Amino acid sequence: MTRLRELLRQRLGLIVTGGAGLLGLTCVARTVASTAGWPGGSVSGVRGWNETVVLLVFFVTIAVGELNRITLPGSRESAPMSVAAAYALAMTAQVDSKTVHLDASTTIATTALAMALPTVVTMVAHRPRHYREVATRFLGAATAAVLFRSLPLVDGAPLVEAQTRWESQRWQTAVAMVAVSALALVAESLVSTTVAAVDDHLPWRVAVVDELRQMVGLSTALAASGALIALAETALGVIAVPVFLIPLVLTQFAVRRYAGIRETYTQTIRTLSRLTEIGGYTPVDHPARVAELSIGMGRFLGVPAREVVTLEYAALLHDIGQLALRVPIPGGATMLAAPADQDRIAEDSAQIVRRTGVLDEVADILEVQARPYRHVRELGEKIPLAARIIKVANAYDDLAGDEPTSASRDAAIERIHLGLGYEYDPAVVDALQRVLVLRSGGVATVKDLLRDDPLSTEPVARS
Amino acid sequence: MRNIAAAQAPRRFPVLELFIALTVLIAVVGIAVVGLSSAVHGFGLPSSLFALAVLCGLGLVSHGLRESNVGQKVGLSFLSIVQLASIPIVGPFGAALVGGLAQALDPRRVAFTRRLFNTAMAVILGWSGGATYLLVGGTLDLQKVGIPGLLLHVAVPLLTADVVQMVVNAAFIAGVLRAERGLPVRVTFLGMVSTSGMSYLGYGAIGFLFAVLWVPAGVGPFSAVLILAPLSVARWVIVQYGDEVRSHESALSALVTAAETKDPHSVGHSARVAMLVEWLVEPMSLSVQEVSALRFAAMLHDVGKVGLPTRLVRRPGEMTREDLLVLAGHSSQGAELLRGVTFLEDSLQGIRHHHERWDGRGYPDGLVGEDIPVISRIIAVADAFDSLTMDRPSRGALDRDTALLQMRSRSSSHFDPAIVEALVRVLERHTWVPGVVEDAGLIGSGYFDHDDPRASDLYARLVADADADADAGANADADADAGAGAGESLRSGP
Repeated sequence: MTRLRELLRQRLGLIVTGGAGLLGLTCVARTVASTAGWPGGSVSGVRGWNETVVLLVFFVTIAVGELNRITLPGSRESAPMSVAAAYALAMTAQVDSKTVHLDASTTIATTALAMALPTVVTMVAHRPRHYREVATRFLGAATAAVLFRSLPLVDGAPLVEAQTRWESQRWQTAVAMVAVSALALVAESLVSTTVAAVDDHLPWRVAVVDELRQMVGLSTALAASGALIALAETALGVIAVPVFLIPLVLTQFAVRRYAGIRETYTQTIRTLSRLTEIGGYTPVDHPARVAELSIGMGRFLGVPAREVVTLEYAALLHDIGQLALRVPIPGGATMLAAPADQDRIAEDSAQIVRRTGVLDEVADILEVQARPYRHVRELGEKIPLAARIIKVANAYDDLAGDEPTSASRDAAIERIHLGLGYEYDPAVVDALQRVLVLRSGGVATVKDLLRDDPLSTEPVARS
Repeated sequence: MRNIAAAQAPRRFPVLELFIALTVLIAVVGIAVVGLSSAVHGFGLPSSLFALAVLCGLGLVSHGLRESNVGQKVGLSFLSIVQLASIPIVGPFGAALVGGLAQALDPRRVAFTRRLFNTAMAVILGWSGGATYLLVGGTLDLQKVGIPGLLLHVAVPLLTADVVQMVVNAAFIAGVLRAERGLPVRVTFLGMVSTSGMSYLGYGAIGFLFAVLWVPAGVGPFSAVLILAPLSVARWVIVQYGDEVRSHESALSALVTAAETKDPHSVGHSARVAMLVEWLVEPMSLSVQEVSALRFAAMLHDVGKVGLPTRLVRRPGEMTREDLLVLAGHSSQGAELLRGVTFLEDSLQGIRHHHERWDGRGYPDGLVGEDIPVISRIIAVADAFDSLTMDRPSRGALDRDTALLQMRSRSSSHFDPAIVEALVRVLERHTWVPGVVEDAGLIGSGYFDHDDPRASDLYARLVADADADADAGANADADADAGAGAGESLRSGP
């Protein structure tokens, strides 16, 4: 049982992707069979000119939408135009005032093919592939199709039939469509967060909260757009499909700009963090390495995505206070400075960052970055997790140097272990070791070190 | 953009009041003409009072919830969308009412004249858009026209009405700004058309979708939810974007200030230079990108000084040729540090060359005249002027006019003459508040200010000319000796 669960944990992404592929293939096969008139197809298949045109238009729109992906800062990738069009297809009932006869299998098959095609193209072009994201999007659209076309939700009939009775009260249809889209989006979110939680070793609750915070805006737009297109087809025909994506395109445009400025912001902070290094205060790339290490440890320790940015900025700027020193510390290693000096640099850093007026959270972290962990245990002082992370990451980088050999790495860990519980938070040190193991692909020496560690009973290396 | 209006300050000749009165008159006459002709022809009046009421409510709510300032001119006007959609649904009269009511009953505090002008504007936009719509063959009977009819008799006329509204809006805003602040009509008008043109086309398209969903698709008032939900998200993102842009700028400037703490004399220097540079480019019609590149370049022009040895930055006393060479490295080092920051790409050249001289004796590349990027020439002037108006070990702070005289005497040798003249004009319009050296001990102990124009002379004599002479096979030592005298005058203290 435990082994099965472990297998599930490790292969969840693969299982989701494979499941989606299997569902898609089944639907395609059923649709082809019934279109060709082979026996065994209880489904509609593609009959009639009207249906063919509708499916073709949606196929093209979804495929184009797949090529226009966006990524909200600190969140997973999405393809709003593709998702909205796929949901609209799932809920298309009338086009130009005529009923179109499509069933769940046919719409799912069309969606599957439309989403698979650009994925294959990117694969051939050797660009980064995103099977899992595509698979979850597809599963969401399939959920919408089943909810709308197959499940007998209203008086024993599926919504697709019930809505013909609401001709004079079309707003009811609109509400039903929004509800279906919303449910499908929730399903998609749950699948993607579960996979992400397992993948990134995040507590599931943290992952779900992360997802909700980030996706609620975009999901609202998507749920509305899917319903919008499906409803407008009655009046405008298939022209409605591209035309009614305009509000969503505007949204997507805005998101791109937003992502752009976030990227710029990070670039700026990263560059400014190098001020200390060109001034000869810190070793080359020290802030960048500490930031990278801190982010990795933060993910292990369940730091929510929206706080990762704060952690990153704090890690990048943790030594900025050294600019106020007249003479650089030898080697720039704050870890080796006297405790009082460490605290003063921390305070200087915090003061400089606080002056920006916009990075107060970062300043709060920097202020206490040098505090030993025993203050938490003995004095009950509240030191933010981010500060405890940066303390450990900074110490490790100061000790291991810019190009750590496995010997210097082990020596650094050993030295940090001497301060375990007194100077450093044991849970954070554990996270450091996990990150190092993952990074080195499970080098034996570090593993040996972990064997004696009571905190590392869980499997850490997955590859 | 239609909310820019109205000054409170009384004027000798009430141009503004007259203009607002004229606007109100046009609004009233227009609505009367449209209303009468609709009544005579028996069409064009709102067919459904329910729809009219809902649209008025929507207009009010969406206008009341608007974002006052999202920065960078990328706002989304929901009222424009609602008003455009009102044209096919409730006709020109209804569209005027929807817009006028929203402006007149704006829940925020708005000065009376301003409220009056905005209301009149909204009414004019409503009837002019509506009349255009009907004249170009728009229909008010959306239910039975079919798909070709929807495109030909709704979409096309609505987009035409949209363009007319944009032009009318820009014209009246340009008019009121002329009356209020004396800004030239043509510049404001073209500026408005170029910045809001695209979003207006978007409003037209979305207004069309709104109308289609409402009437032929039979969704009715619930359409508002479906249409405005994605747009609210877009607007939310735009607001976040604006916040982030502002946050980014303040973070950047504060951190640059931090870098200045190493060199106490230059505290506030970057900010003052950036301000002066912004004043200098005001009269030039630069694009938003160019202005921001300039501002960033000005703010970061000395960032490379962090890389200088502390002894050089703080040390009193004589500068040797080697010291000067190290010091001169700061401009190229600054540009080097910022390489890789995508949004600063346009500023890098400005930073690198801000110590070049018009006569080609500056550093790092010895560029001459027009070869120096214009950003650098502007920063050079602002940089030197700021230094002249501050206390330095070798001299007290110069007052504005003496400093300008000094700058003028260097025009064509050190500085671009056109920019020096621009500086003279700028300081007639703005009040210059010179920086103050807070650490008085610094002055006493002596200090080398690399921004002092005489530092540039010293460099030119000691390094640039020496190198040139060395190239020509002359004896460089003689020149270095000659330069020592100039060093004497710069350095001072006990």
